Amino acid sequence: MSLFTRTTKELTVRIDEFFDTIEIGILIFKEGVKAYVNGDKDVFQSHLAKIDEMEGRADKLQRSIENDMIVHSILPQQRSEIVKLLWQLDEIIDTAKGSLNEFYVEMPHIPSSISRDIISLSEVSANAAEELMPAARAFFREPHLVREKLIKVYFFERETDKAAFQMKKKVFHEMNDLSLAEKAHIRYITHHIENISDSAQAAADLLASMAIRQML
Amino acid sequence: MIFLFITSGLFLGWTLGANDASNVFGAAVGSRMVSFTRAAVIASVFVILGAVIQGSGASDTLGRLGSVNAMGGAFTVALAAGLTVYFMTRAGLPVSTTQAIVGAIIGWNFFTDNAVDTRALSQIVVTWITGPLLGGLFAYALYHLVKIIRKRIKLHLLEYESYLRTGLMIAGAFGAYSLGANNIANVMGVFVPSIPLGEADFGFITLSGAQQLFFLGAIAIAAGVLTYSRKVMQTVGSNLLELSSEAAFVVVLSQALVLFIFSSSALSGLMVKIGLPPIPLVPVSSTQVVVGAVLGIGLYKGVRNINLKVLGSIASGWITTPVAAGLLSFFLLFFIKNLFGIEVGYSVNPPSSSGDGLSIAVIIRYSIIILLVITAVYLVYLVLAEKKKTESINKKYYL
Repeated sequence: MSLFTRTTKELTVRIDEFFDTIEIGILIFKEGVKAYVNGDKDVFQSHLAKIDEMEGRADKLQRSIENDMIVHSILPQQRSEIVKLLWQLDEIIDTAKGSLNEFYVEMPHIPSSISRDIISLSEVSANAAEELMPAARAFFREPHLVREKLIKVYFFERETDKAAFQMKKKVFHEMNDLSLAEKAHIRYITHHIENISDSAQAAADLLASMAIRQML
Repeated sequence: MIFLFITSGLFLGWTLGANDASNVFGAAVGSRMVSFTRAAVIASVFVILGAVIQGSGASDTLGRLGSVNAMGGAFTVALAAGLTVYFMTRAGLPVSTTQAIVGAIIGWNFFTDNAVDTRALSQIVVTWITGPLLGGLFAYALYHLVKIIRKRIKLHLLEYESYLRTGLMIAGAFGAYSLGANNIANVMGVFVPSIPLGEADFGFITLSGAQQLFFLGAIAIAAGVLTYSRKVMQTVGSNLLELSSEAAFVVVLSQALVLFIFSSSALSGLMVKIGLPPIPLVPVSSTQVVVGAVLGIGLYKGVRNINLKVLGSIASGWITTPVAAGLLSFFLLFFIKNLFGIEVGYSVNPPSSSGDGLSIAVIIRYSIIILLVITAVYLVYLVLAEKKKTESINKKYYL
């Protein structure tokens, strides 16, 4: 029994560590986009390296949590859903890392007239993911609070859609000095930033249904 | 010769282990919180302890219903009950050994022209109703309490599950102990009057004749648990309702509490002390209690979670079990007596015309009462379930 309790405690710590890693990854993403748009290449490179490390750590934690839950037969009934949730959360940091990598590889030209828009789009999209984390933590300790915490996720996801729409409209309707390739490139980058909040929303939907089942 | 006659009792014990004893851990195993092997070992050990230490209380009530006064009769009664339970278990239906043995004893009473003690019968039949009702009530209240505690203590889900798992095993051990104490009367109770054994001194412990019989019966129960209970555990745990780990814990605890209430002479004495009527010490159908507890949780959660088809098949078993066991007992007694010339019992208390014994009218009266209670419970269940369903839908749309 003592072995079981120790495993449980270790697993609890690792789950919290996984959440911490995702949260830090999201913060790094925001700072990375800001650094790129402001042309601060060294800082951007440093953020890119950090998010890569965070993503690797999250993957490792996700696999070890999943493995221990199966080996020690922990939460047999909710296990598949929890594993799915962890996968969905990991998807957020994967997307964030992918976006920063695209900035690095493709080096999109961001005109100064939309630099503020790109930064605020990345912030609002990352906010959706940030707000998801307290809800995910609450699922494990206070499932009755999950629903109210998820409201902010849905709010920021909608705000992301609006911001992206406005920016794309601005780029295609007002910025005639840009070539079609540049416009398409910005649209592509915008779409990738949006994906973070979309992933957060998918995880929120899953979390909501899991919390309801816990409450019944 | 005694051992030959006792084999039917051992067979009945084996069927009880395969069926009724599995109710103790069915919810836990069905929800995959406790492995079958661990559950079977705990159940076996505690059933034996309960039967030997505290098994004599409930056998008195069965003795009053019909004191089977020949070894051949006891053998046949136990065999009829055992066969009934075995075939229903094979069909995957949780059946009650209590009902099977009661039906078989009444069959013996009819065959040997003995009157049925209607007071004892009514006590037993009342537990057929109060058992599941209490189980449901406890489960509803405990489930609510567990939910409140969960909300207050803010434990991590993993730690919470760890406590629940430990709780399940403790409650299961308690339930198995109470089951042994309560239901051993079903297995060996009919042999006690016809097989008088002397005391056996093992140095560190002395067992009375009845306790020796109970010990043998409990070993048979343990064998039933270990060899054949897996299927019924899965039926109780999974088919009737998808049980969460919390629900599994509540079902096991409710069942253990109900069995304890109907087994504890101390509690019964306490009731008398405070001026309340004593609790009858009668064998309770653990199957019915579990079904009641699962239903109680179903009521808390809403109708859509309950598999009514399985529930219906279980309810039909409540009626078919005693009837089938009674008829089988009657016919087996006829064959054993006339084909093999074995004495199966004699009349010591013929039914009087004044109506002391069990008449058709009494049977009909009890049947009507049972049907009315079942209908009333079902109606309340539907009303509450509909309310839950509406609330749940509103909640879903609101989110």
